[in-house]
Formats: sequence, C-alpha cells, structure tokens
Amino acid sequence: MNTTTSTETRRDLLWAAVTSRDEHRAADLVLAALDEGLDAETALMDLIAPVQARVGSEWAVNRLSVAQEHAASAITERIIAALAHHPAARVPPTLGRVTVACVDQEWHSLPARLLAEVLTLRGWQVDFLGAQVPTPHLIAHLHNIGADAVALSSSVPTRLPTAHAAITACQAIGVPVLVGGAAFGPGGRYARLLGADAWAPDARAAAHRLAEGIPAPSLATGRQQIDDLPHLADQEYTLVARNRAQLVREVLTRIEDRLPAMAAYTAQQRERTAEDIAHIVDFLTVALYTDDSGLFTTFITWTADILTARDVPARSLHPALEILADELKDFPRSTLLLGQARSALELAPSTTGTPPGVHV
Amino acid sequence: MASTKSTSPAQSRLWDLAPYPVILADEAGTVAELNDAAGHLLKGAAPGANLLDVAPAWLAQAHQEAILRTRLAAQGTRKPPVLASVSGRIAAYSFEAHPTVTQDGSVVWWLIDDTDRRLAEEALATERERTTFLAEASNVLLASLNTDRCMATTAQLAAEYLADVAIVITPVSNGKLPVARAVAGQEADRALVVADPSDLPGLGEALQGFPPVPSRWIDPAALPAWVIPQGFGSTIGSVVVTPLPGHGVPAGALILLRGTERAQFNENEEVFARLFAARAGAALSAARLYSEQSAITQTLMRDLLPPSLQRVEGVEIAGGYRPAGEAERVGGDFYDVHPGSSGQDPSLVILGDVCGKGLEAAVLTGKIRNTLQALLPMADDHQRMLRLLNGALLTSHHTRFATLVLASVRRSENEVRLRLTSAGHPYPLVVRRDGSVEEVHTHGSLIGVLPAIEAHSAETVLRPGDTCLLYTDGFTEARGGPLGDELFGEERLRQALSGCADMPAGAVVDRIQMLASQWLRDGPHDDMALLAISAPHTNHLSAVDGTTRGRYTA
Amino acid sequence: MTPPPSSFTFTVEVSRSTAHLHLAGDLDYDTGDTLVQEADRCLTDHPHLRELRLDCAHLCFCDSVGISSLLTIHRRTTARTVRLRLENSPPFLQRLLDVTGIQQLFAQPQTSQQAE
Repeated sequence: MNTTTSTETRRDLLWAAVTSRDEHRAADLVLAALDEGLDAETALMDLIAPVQARVGSEWAVNRLSVAQEHAASAITERIIAALAHHPAARVPPTLGRVTVACVDQEWHSLPARLLAEVLTLRGWQVDFLGAQVPTPHLIAHLHNIGADAVALSSSVPTRLPTAHAAITACQAIGVPVLVGGAAFGPGGRYARLLGADAWAPDARAAAHRLAEGIPAPSLATGRQQIDDLPHLADQEYTLVARNRAQLVREVLTRIEDRLPAMAAYTAQQRERTAEDIAHIVDFLTVALYTDDSGLFTTFITWTADILTARDVPARSLHPALEILADELKDFPRSTLLLGQARSALELAPSTTGTPPGVHV
Repeated sequence: MASTKSTSPAQSRLWDLAPYPVILADEAGTVAELNDAAGHLLKGAAPGANLLDVAPAWLAQAHQEAILRTRLAAQGTRKPPVLASVSGRIAAYSFEAHPTVTQDGSVVWWLIDDTDRRLAEEALATERERTTFLAEASNVLLASLNTDRCMATTAQLAAEYLADVAIVITPVSNGKLPVARAVAGQEADRALVVADPSDLPGLGEALQGFPPVPSRWIDPAALPAWVIPQGFGSTIGSVVVTPLPGHGVPAGALILLRGTERAQFNENEEVFARLFAARAGAALSAARLYSEQSAITQTLMRDLLPPSLQRVEGVEIAGGYRPAGEAERVGGDFYDVHPGSSGQDPSLVILGDVCGKGLEAAVLTGKIRNTLQALLPMADDHQRMLRLLNGALLTSHHTRFATLVLASVRRSENEVRLRLTSAGHPYPLVVRRDGSVEEVHTHGSLIGVLPAIEAHSAETVLRPGDTCLLYTDGFTEARGGPLGDELFGEERLRQALSGCADMPAGAVVDRIQMLASQWLRDGPHDDMALLAISAPHTNHLSAVDGTTRGRYTA
Repeated sequence: MTPPPSSFTFTVEVSRSTAHLHLAGDLDYDTGDTLVQEADRCLTDHPHLRELRLDCAHLCFCDSVGISSLLTIHRRTTARTVRLRLENSPPFLQRLLDVTGIQQLFAQPQTSQQAE
C-alpha cells in the first residue's frame, strides 16, 4: 500500500472539505483512511495537523477569512473527536497518567488536543483540560488526580510570565512539566529559561520525551520563580507591567499631538491604535521578563513588515518607540531594548520572518 | 636493639609531669619509655614491649609509617620530616596522637584525649543532618495535597532516613487499610489491604492517635505478612510503630523496620522519628481534608456545571462559561438545552444570570434549573413558565433575583425558527450572514422579587449562516481594553458579533470568549456565559448523497 | 495599571419628611450592601420620613447586585409606606431599569428641581 502518495492526496481532499465547510465529507475522509489501515497517529500528525497548519498560514496571509479559519478549526476539532471513537484509535492505557492543558488565555487548543490524542494512542491515560486553563484549576486538578507529568501549551510569547507561573506551580507540587508551542521560542529557548523540565517541538517528540521519563523536580530545596530569572530583582518588569494602561494612554496622547492626521480618526481607529501600542508594551514587558532583546526586536521588525504589507507606513512605529523610550528613560533595561528595536527598524531589512505568534 | 640511652632520667621525669600519655618507641616499634599516663592507658605497655602488641592497630601502623618517612628523609636532605598527627580510638576514648622524632630516629607519641570534642562534633553533625532533613521533608511533604502521593512520599523519606523499611497506614476506609510501603532507595508501592489493624501490636492504638508515643519492643515475628514489602530481602530485627498525628484527628500510623544487621532504634532516634511523624501527619491530614472537601464540592457541583452541547435536532448550539473567580468552576450564570420530546417539538434553550457570584449564586442557579426542568411540559408557554418560576423563587429573605431568556428552537427546512422571551435579561442579538446585527426585542421583568411579572415574546428566523447570541452582562461589563478601565459594552459586543457572520455556533462562542478575554487580560470579572444558536450550513447535505452519508453524526 | 477599585460615595441630606441620598461612583457587588445599610439607617433614624430620594446624577456604574440593593431598599420603604424615588438616572441606569422591567417601582419625578 503506497500510503505516502495517498496521504498526500488525502491531505488535499481534506483541505478542500475543511475549507468548504463540509464537515461530513471531511470526517468520512479521515474515517475511511482509518478503515483502509492508515494508523490513527499518522492520520492525526500527517493528515490533520498539516491541514490545520495550512489553515493557520493561509489565514495569516489573508487568503482565508476569520470566519473560514474558525469554521475550519471547529471542523478539525470535531474530526479529531470522531477519530478518537474509531476502533483503530482504541488503545488501553498501559503507561502513566498525563495532564495536557493550555496556559491561561491561550485559545489555540488544537496543538494540545493533537498531543492529547497522540499520547492516548501511545498508551497514556490523558486528562485533557482544554484551552485557557487558569493555573488554580490546573493545580487543583493535579492535587486530585496526581499526574505523572503535565504538558503545557502556549503559542503567544506575551503569555510567558503566565506560563512561568504555571510551570513553577506544577513543579512546586512535585509534578514535572513538559512545554511546547511557538511561545517558547526557537529551539525551546524560553522553555529552558523558565525552568521547564522538558520541551518538545511537536506531539511526536513530546510523546517520545514522556516515554523516556522526565524526572520529578526536586522539592527539598523549595525553588522559587525568581531563582530562574534573577534579573527580575531590578523591578523593571514589575513597574512597566503594572503601569501598562497608563503608558499606553500617555503614548497615545503624545502620538496624537505629533501626528495631526490622527485627529480625524474614528473612535474605533483610535482604539486600534491604542491596541497596537498596548501590543508593543506587552512585548517590551515580556522581553523585560525574559531579559531577551531578540524577542522585542523580532516583534518590532515583524510588525513593520505586516504594516508595510497592509500599506500602512511603518514610520508610525518610530514615534511610538521614541515616546516609550522617553517615558521609560529611568529604566536601563527598557531603554536598551527600545534603542535596539529602533536601530533594527532603521536597518529595516524587509524580512518575512516567522510571526512571533501574534493575534491580529 | 633497644637504645634506651638516648633519654636521660631528667627527661623521663618531665614526661611523668605531662598531662598526656607519652610513649617513646624505636625504629623496630619496641617501647623504650613511657609515662604513667601511657602505662594506664595502654594495657601491657612497658619498656621492651612492641607497639604491635600493646598499642591499637592505627597507632602501631602510624609508627611504622613515621619511621619509614624519617629514614627516607635521612637519606635525602637529612632534615627530619614534619610528621602528621593521626587519630583513633583507644578503648572507649578517642585520641589524637602527635609524633615527634628524636635524634636517634625513635619517635615520641604524645596522645591527646579529644573524646569530648569528637562527641560534641558528632552530635552537632547529627543534629544538623536531622534539621536539614526535617526542613527538606517539610518542603517535600507539604508540596502535594494528593493523599496517595503524600503517603508514598512519607514512606519513602522514612525508609531512606529513619529505617530500612517504612510503612504508612491511614485509617480504614470501606473496610480496607490504605497502605504505602517503601524499602530504602526504592519507589514506594501502594495497596489496599484487607486486614485487622490489631494484628500488629501498637498499630490499632497508633491509628486512634493514642497513646501519642511510639511503641517499641514489638516482636518482629508478630509482623503480619502484608506489612513487609516485596523488595526487602533480609530479616527484620526491630520494629517501631508511631502515630501520625493529624489536625485534631489521627492521620495514620508509621511503621519503621530495621534489618537484623542494624542497631535497634534508640531513644534519641525515636524522638526524631516523632518529630518527623508530626510533620508527615500534618501534611497527610491536610491532603485528606483537601480530597474530602474536593470530593464533596465535585459531587455538589456536578449538577451545577453547564452542560456540554453540540447539535440538537439539526440546530447547532454551543455554549461557553467562565466563572468569576479563578479558582471557581460555578457561579451565578447558567444555561441549559432541553431537546424537544419529539422531532417536531421545539427544543427549549435557557440562559440566565443570578445576581451575585460564587457558590451562593450557584446554589440559586441550581434551584432555577431544577424548577425549569420540572416545568418543561409547559415549555411552549413561556409566560406561564416564568410566572411559576417567579412564584417558586419569591422570598422575603432577600432580593437576589435572576434574569433569563427562554428560547424555543425549531428547525424547519433549512431555517431555524426561534421564539424568545426575556425576563429582565439583555436583548438577544442576531448576526445575519452579511454581518448585520439585530436586537431581538423581547421584554419582561426580572424573576424572584416582584409579586407579579410580565413578559413579552418575540420571534425571529435564522437562515444558514445566521447566529443568535444569548449572553450575560459579564461580557458587556468586562473592564479592560488597551487603556485598562473601559467597559467592553454593548457596542463592542455587536462589532465582535458582526465579525462572526457565517461562522458555526461553536466558533462564534470561541471567538467572542477570546475577544472578551483579551479585553480583560488578567483583570477581575463577573461570571460570563454565552450561548450561540446557528442554522447549520446545508452544502454538505447536497454534497453527500443519501447512500454514502457515512456514520458520522455530530 | 490595575483597574481602579470600585469607589462609591454618598452624602445624606434630611429635611422634615424627605431624605436625599446623593450617590456617586460604582454601585456593584462590593458596594451594594453599603447603600442598603445607609438607607436602613435613614429609615430608622427618621421615623417620620415620607419620602426617600436617591439622586443618581453621579452614579457611574450599576450591576445586578446594585439593582438587587435598590430592590431591597424598595421593599423596606414600601413596608414603612415611605415613597422611594430615583432622580437624575443616567441613561445606562434607565436602560438597566427598562431591560429588567422594574422602572415602575422607582417613580421618576417629571422634573428634577431638587438637584443641586
């Protein structure tokens, strides 16, 4: 059986079904493949996952509408649910128990869902808690259930501080944490920084890491969050994060003084601008948290590219960064980050780098 | 070979005055001289005796090494070497022996008693080790509120530091004894044992928390077989049973076992075991209380949690709920979907909001949901249902009220027909396929406070791609946004909904929840519930013919 | 910046038969009880009261618990045959009273000559 070619063909058929919102055809396609002997993990990882990834990238370049993207994701969710009931996907749990969850405010649950299914297929007993799980719920669940490990998913870098809180909370009760998702950076660099016990680039790698066994964190020493990030002691992150709204307001007011065209903005346009500024502040904040300048400059140059692509002159970024630098002139790390971002913007290499997982 | 002439009588008198035992031996190890103190200390030591016979091995060996080093040095620089002092035991005492070399190559040993210091140091080291252990044990024990994990941890720690084998037993539940057993250096195993605690002397008492002291002098032969874990090879030499005191009630018992090759437990070790038991008992008791509480909460909450929905009688229905408190799962918002008794009967969809939040509000939502369920036979008469519900909720104790929307939902061909009745609730919204948003003007009074209420229904029809949204004020009253303190408000909700035109119900719910959550960020909020009703797209019905429709039904 | 804590203040003026409560700020989950207590105090301290007026001109926000506290005050005034009136309701409050169907409980005077 030449599964490789047929998997590709099936992928195209599935793509057509999902984007034309034909849920039944999409589900029948996947179930038929299983009937013909395609194994369930291959169906998940080589059929469904690539189609979903394509939905994401087509949406990012504006070839799919928000409505189509949401409809496609909803259909994918239901196909995964249907697949789980197919005889090919019935595997008795023989390994340990794993909890899979998205960090708080993380809405993209599909990667975590795929992992949950792959782990189930490999014989784990999986508790899937879904999207945006508040850390107290996660911890309460772990106290009740007593999992061998937790797998946490996060796609947005601005949620890294929340992810860090979740990681240390799980470790504080003796449960090792494996993390995954775009938020943790290339090669999982932020996973290491935040003291996660393991990182994996995809569901298969995660299943492999879990099978190897992730040692439980040592509880005897009583590790604390600050131990991972000693630079937080300078309070810059805390102060900037706490004054987010005030900073956004200040930058917005001063930018309006500077760009007379903004006087004609509608309330809605003004709010979009405020959101853009808030986004810059959010990325600055998380760069302060991780003490990683690359995170901020990548975001700024990526935003510049997006603006250019939308025919919005990227020069509106300059005044925002300039005013922020002025507002934060007493903060050495912020000043440095903003300076680096501004020079990166000057050079403005029109790269089409990978988006740092921003919601637009 | 003896070269006694090298020491003068004057010297030997001085040695007699020395406060330490002093002994001089020649290259062959023969004692040349010694003072009285040395004579008392080393039995049989007298001039002419050999150190190998009268001195402890460590001293005799040190002497040989000292002689050797002196000879080697003499062949080289001729400068006598600086010899290191050694130490060891003589009888029950501990000594430091400082060597000096005489001119003829003999060695004088000055023996200094350091027994007290050594004992003090040992005691200090033990004390430090124990303090560190107790601090670490507390960290480890207090970390988990999971009873199984806590029992296993306790057994493992105790086996590692206090004994060879440790067994943790908690009070009988459902006629069985929960047990965690650990051998030092191994993972603990867990079991439920059918056994009588009184089989082991002291265990019954320890499980009752009395007497609050460990029982020793238990005959190892009296140990029931279930106590000893699989991985333990040797014979049990000594046994201690210690109560694990909880918060007021006993948390369990700890059995410590040592093999025959190790010393029995002494009083000091028992005190230490008790200190450990106090910490382990507190942790175990906290874990037990937690699991009991959460079992109760889960049982009570099962009926208060919103149902998971998908498709009812060919209509897509999706709901989403986010309670106010981060740690809570229930609150004052609720929704329910009751499918019609036959395919022709409309389904009844309910979404509502009890004022207040948390468990107190949740209890009232439970009452409302039960009452409405009982009134389902009259589901087609919204006014009557609401009047009866109002009557059932009226009380003079408080003015906690509820607002809600009743929706009768019926599929008709491709369309979904809705009859909506609001009881003091925000207007339902409908987004059409083209993105326009309408309010459905149903109107009525809130429920549970006024002696008489009124309610007016309104009807609307959903075509494929249209969605009706029922929501609670938690969304419109969400405070946040880029400037931090703005209300999300009705206008933003309408705009958000406009962006959801032509989406399936589940996606509408996800998207509105996501936008509201991004608006809120980490800020506080009220309960937030929403429910979307959509007329499904029909293209799959035309694309799939009747024979190959497949097994898939959502 | 963290959202400002909900602030709620009021001033009380009592003439022979009428008490005026001037409300300002957010009437919500955290502050509803305070208003009920203050209204109770007015009613017990001034047994000859005929009318209680709540001036809402400076009210910024009202949630369902706020509405519940208004309903509680309505019950207490009705029991003492004291008339309860809401004055200068901002549009959001009027809409809220309208949606919840309780506006008739708080008879609004035609003009608000008492406003200061």
